[in-house]
Amino acid sequence: MSTDREALPDLPNPLGLEGLAFVEYATLRPQALGQVLEAMGFLPVARHRSREVLLYRQGDMNLVVNANPDDARASATEDGRPVLSAVGFRVQDARLAQARCLELGAWEAPSHARAMELLIPAIHGPGGAHFFFVDRWRDFSIWDIDFVPIPGVDPRPAAVAGSRFFGVVQYIGTQRGPDWLAFYERLFGFCEIPDDQRFGVLPAGKLMRSPCSGFLWQLVEPLGPDDDDGRERLQRIAIAAPDVPAAVAALRRRGVQFVDAAQLRPDDRGALTTPQLGSVSFELVHLSAE
Amino acid sequence: MDRRIAGFGMDTITLAGPLEARLAAMRAGGFDQVMLGARDIAGHPGGVPAAVAAVRASGLRPTGFQVLRDFEGLSGHLHAYKVDIAKGMLRMCQALGSPVLLACSSTSRHASQDLEAIARDLRKLATLALPLGIRIAYEGLSWGRTINEFTTAWEAVALADCPNLGIGLDSFHIFAAKTPIDALEEIDPRRIFLVQLSDFMWHETPTFEDRMTTARTFRVFPGEGVHSEALADLVLRLHALGYRGDYSFEVFNDDYQQLPLEMVVQRAQRSALWLAEDVLHLPRPLPGA
Repeated sequence: MSTDREALPDLPNPLGLEGLAFVEYATLRPQALGQVLEAMGFLPVARHRSREVLLYRQGDMNLVVNANPDDARASATEDGRPVLSAVGFRVQDARLAQARCLELGAWEAPSHARAMELLIPAIHGPGGAHFFFVDRWRDFSIWDIDFVPIPGVDPRPAAVAGSRFFGVVQYIGTQRGPDWLAFYERLFGFCEIPDDQRFGVLPAGKLMRSPCSGFLWQLVEPLGPDDDDGRERLQRIAIAAPDVPAAVAALRRRGVQFVDAAQLRPDDRGALTTPQLGSVSFELVHLSAE
Repeated sequence: MDRRIAGFGMDTITLAGPLEARLAAMRAGGFDQVMLGARDIAGHPGGVPAAVAAVRASGLRPTGFQVLRDFEGLSGHLHAYKVDIAKGMLRMCQALGSPVLLACSSTSRHASQDLEAIARDLRKLATLALPLGIRIAYEGLSWGRTINEFTTAWEAVALADCPNLGIGLDSFHIFAAKTPIDALEEIDPRRIFLVQLSDFMWHETPTFEDRMTTARTFRVFPGEGVHSEALADLVLRLHALGYRGDYSFEVFNDDYQQLPLEMVVQRAQRSALWLAEDVLHLPRPLPGA
């Protein structure tokens, strides 16, 4: 073996993953999306120093709304619907995490950091989405450096009904399950969950668990080849709630509507919000408080 | 399109002339798919976007895109260079809507001969291709330095163990290297991502130099050479193993490069009909189907 190439042993958590740092939407309609997020309990807490980017938060969940023209162009290609454009992973060492992924065959995603801003390493994910690696989240955070707090706003608004990130749902192409399972297993150390273990009311597809056990990743193939639109993408965020009916009631009071049909309606296991702006919906999933 | 020869296609490298004329000749010959050579795409007078538009307008579906050479086993700056080349070819492959990129085994003296290193690089190539929805078909060139038969190509692919990495079989290399066809039994047919067919006119190609010269200038269509029986046997065995993927005619031939396109396409069509009807005995499509 050559000396200038890394030996890459299989570690149970090769990147030192410790949960989701943030999930990002790209949109040309940031105010309309902001209304949807606020109904869900996310409040705007900070603004990016140099770009048209807002940070929304509730509890430990950070949502970034990116209306920077270059990034929001991705949204324009989706008929103006907001798209899930990035996921930030908390890792032990962001630079090493990216280097490991590149060594294994990931594509490097460009950074747009300006002077005095953090360069957050990233790779390409499905569709046009990026995966960021964030290692500054303990003593201080990326939000302290690149973002300015919105005056007079509680920087840590409480989560509605004790909710937190449960995971991300990704739509994939026909028969692409094995490919994406291999991708997340090799690069991030995700582990497939047996088909008989499912959570919530939308159990289709393959389910993976992060090596930190902090979140899940669901891969959903089209119902049939005729339903395959050829576009793979991050589809929605799933939010864990210790008491789903209580969370549904609290969100309904805030004006959130849920899919309530014979095939799918809110129950103790989970619920799905009615899509807004053509693409934005949230899944609630029952998970006991720890 | 001639449904009798569905599943068989030609390669752009076989024909001379502008890309559009080649594609139109294939279509007129009843073919519905085309194996795309990177030179024919990059060399289009209108550039890659015009070539992509020509392929999309042709109505032919891409069988695959070729060829990435000498990728595996390199280190340091050579490895980094080849990763860049691979990325460029993967982007072209994606733009063309081609489901497969063909990568052939390394001939480089600078490449490691360690199977683990080869498998690691193939795994990396497959990972690069994965988000783009592209599968990698790895082919053992019969003059490859370390991997020069489909048997060892399969060993490397199996060791790399990626769902979007498989092998590409090429009858020329199998016959030139005299690899026993029985060894096909060792291969998972679901991981055969492409089969390229051609024949040639002599029985012996003992040296790498003989194989290279013949492969690059004097291949002929299946049924036109001296290995027709072996080629029929190969196709029948693949069929029996359950292979239902595409067959593409990989025919490099200097004579065909200076003949009218229609004449060469007719030869290809005759070859496809021989394979479909006389060898495989595929059922004739119903009228109007």
